[in-house]
Amino acid sequence: MRERQSSDQFARLALLLATLISLIVSGLANSTAAASPEYQVKAVFLFNFAQFVEWPPQSFEDAAAPFVIGVLGTDPFGAALEGAVRGETLNGRSFVIERYRSVTEIRHCQILFISRSEAAHIEEISASLAGHGILTVSDAEDSAQRGLMIRFVAESNRIRLRINVEAAKAAGLSISSKLLRPAELVTSTD
Amino acid sequence: MDRRRMFELRRTVACLLLVSTYGLVCRNALGAAEGDSISIGALKQLSIEELMNLDVTSVSKQPEPYGQAPAAIQVITQHEIRRSGASSIPEALRLADNLDVAQQNSHDWAISARGFNTAFGNKLLVMIDGRTVYSPLFSGVFWNVQDYLLEDIDRIEVISGSGGTLWGANAVNGVINISSKSAKDTQGLYLETGGGEPELKSFAGVRYGGMLAPDIFFRAYGKYFDRGNEVYAAGKDASDTWNMRQGGFRIDSYGSPGNVLTVQGDLYGSDLNVAAGGSGNTAGGNLLGRWSHVISGDSNTSLQLYYDRTRLVDPITNQFGAAKILTDDLDTYDLDFQHHIRLNERNRIAWGLGYRFTHDVVEQALNLAFLPPTLDRNLYSGFVQDEIMLIKNLFFTLGTKLEHNDYTGFEWEPSGRLQLNLAADQMLWSAVSRAVRTPSRIDSDTREPNASTPILEGNSGFRSETLIAYELGYRARLGSTASASLSTFYNDYTKVRSVNFTPGTIAPLYFANDLAGDTYGAELSADYQVLERWRLHGGYNLLKENIHVKPGGYDYSNALNETEDPQQQFFLRSFFDLPLNFELDGALRWIDKLIANNNGLPATVPSYVELDIHLGWHPIPKLELALVGQNLLHNHHPEYGVPIAIPNREEIQRSVYGKITYGW
Repeated sequence: MRERQSSDQFARLALLLATLISLIVSGLANSTAAASPEYQVKAVFLFNFAQFVEWPPQSFEDAAAPFVIGVLGTDPFGAALEGAVRGETLNGRSFVIERYRSVTEIRHCQILFISRSEAAHIEEISASLAGHGILTVSDAEDSAQRGLMIRFVAESNRIRLRINVEAAKAAGLSISSKLLRPAELVTSTD
Repeated sequence: MDRRRMFELRRTVACLLLVSTYGLVCRNALGAAEGDSISIGALKQLSIEELMNLDVTSVSKQPEPYGQAPAAIQVITQHEIRRSGASSIPEALRLADNLDVAQQNSHDWAISARGFNTAFGNKLLVMIDGRTVYSPLFSGVFWNVQDYLLEDIDRIEVISGSGGTLWGANAVNGVINISSKSAKDTQGLYLETGGGEPELKSFAGVRYGGMLAPDIFFRAYGKYFDRGNEVYAAGKDASDTWNMRQGGFRIDSYGSPGNVLTVQGDLYGSDLNVAAGGSGNTAGGNLLGRWSHVISGDSNTSLQLYYDRTRLVDPITNQFGAAKILTDDLDTYDLDFQHHIRLNERNRIAWGLGYRFTHDVVEQALNLAFLPPTLDRNLYSGFVQDEIMLIKNLFFTLGTKLEHNDYTGFEWEPSGRLQLNLAADQMLWSAVSRAVRTPSRIDSDTREPNASTPILEGNSGFRSETLIAYELGYRARLGSTASASLSTFYNDYTKVRSVNFTPGTIAPLYFANDLAGDTYGAELSADYQVLERWRLHGGYNLLKENIHVKPGGYDYSNALNETEDPQQQFFLRSFFDLPLNFELDGALRWIDKLIANNNGLPATVPSYVELDIHLGWHPIPKLELALVGQNLLHNHHPEYGVPIAIPNREEIQRSVYGKITYGW
């Protein structure tokens, strides 16, 4: 009697395991890149920056040109950036996401996210973009002190903003106080 | 400018809609899948400040700020757990103002919301990552087998008030959802160790997380602790040491867009001594799989399956004194399916089906048995809920659970909930709900096999206890630095457990449903960011209970046995970031006196004030050194129980421990 009961239990357990394994395998089968929650949030931050920063007219190719959010280096966002701007417009401009392997590929871009893969070259990147009216954003170490305008800082699982206002001003950008208020303000250290 | 206003307007509306998808409708442990357009859309509705306050590890499960849910909900974050110095789940639960947490001895707690807090409290539903952890022996929780590496807990949601419509029987007075972090957010090595006196003697924990394949993450952990004795009132050692080992794993796969697969499991074992003499042990484990799938932006499903095993070897004391061993082996198999769908602009539907099978084997102690010794039980359930947008900013949620259990057959648990958004950051809500506490083995199957005259027996005719709950609440964010919430309730109970007598012989006494009555009260809590480095939290809790024997009924315990609750509780917590990477945090609590049942006569646990302090230092970011003092204001104090009992009431000592933590 007891034996039968325990074999029933084993049968249940085996069924459960089989189901779990098939779930995992079906997950492995169709694997494509998806952004982590962290980069989903960062993608939404990037989209929001467009609302809180004013660009000089000359940073756009023309009055009808799209608003370009670019990613330089290895792209951690998956489809999250496209998801964040889907169907959105700003002052009549649609949004476009572009990806660059090097700075030289950049033509017109309003917000540029510089991936951690470029961390070693931040000073060069910052220097070559100077005066182009591009809001530079990164989550690389010390990037705000190294001349970029906004850095995402991870703090107890939350994303804080560190903003280098001088760098933005030098590029002719004006950042709304709504964005500055909750952020930590820093200056370049050279 | 217009653009921004439109954004804000749209945000308000979307926040409301989100509540329906992710708020009460959605059991958070089974929330929507990651990597889909829903969560991005939800995130876009948040302000910069809200985005900055969002715990990115919880984004996928709950994209909306919890402040939007129309219920008395409080959320304990990982940050607060760490800063409080809590070393166990029950200690962490002291961070919820809407709970009453009373420690009985080194390894037992009584925890409840809105009253009915006894050692065998049975009106609170507790879940860990979607797995129900109550024992069908008494419909309550053995807190000493619920543990986790606290570092890997993402958050604990505590809902006071009935949750029967979504969670079913036993979610009578409240629901606790403990959620661990995704394996993706626990990558790398984490180490902790430390020790102290006299309670937490020594402990250590380790976790390692890595990637199995692109987008498939895992972690494995192990921990142990060794706890010392508490004392009796005179300061004498109560010989109730406790040690526990636990290990486990979690795998999260984000392989295909719109699908999240989770498989996790834990194994544990413990040894504990009880004050009356004798030693017991526990062992158990669980294995859970969950598949969350997004069908479209308007429709998502989740399917969850788990197996849980617990073995308790427990020395039992009752009125006959000496400890005898009772063994309980419980196997639980649970299957749960949910579907959330937006029908149109106005209606969001959630529905689900569940099945649970339990196989319970009790080996009797000399003086206590549950008959039949082996019992299989089936629980079938289904629920459906519609959230209807009546007009802009006004939402009405109507739903019910229908369950079938082997004791009382079908049970309905309907509720209606109204939510009015006064502004983007102010909400008024109200609810009426019915909940039931279905019978457990203690009510129905208790026997005293070797007594010549049994004193107390279970009653197979025991019926479900029922509650009609009326709630009204208000929550507001006051500027960018403060927030407050007030929840009030009136609860009307019938058929509550009583103890009746056999005509003529008196003994055996048996369980019946002769108590009724009402409770009412309020839960107030407020947060204030005084300075950037300093946060204050205050909470106040009022509970009035009028439980009495119904006309024509009888209760041997004179309506004292089911309630051992403080009428008032007051909490003040401070979190201070000091210079040089020091942190200084304190938690003060004042708990009103309790009235306990001493064989039908009232006994008192005096009111008390206690203080916990945590001092942390991060000399480098990966390293934390912490010093924690708990219950610092008294040598020892009682929190629960009858002063003269067998064994004598234990008291909780002042204790101190140090901790070294290394990891991300």
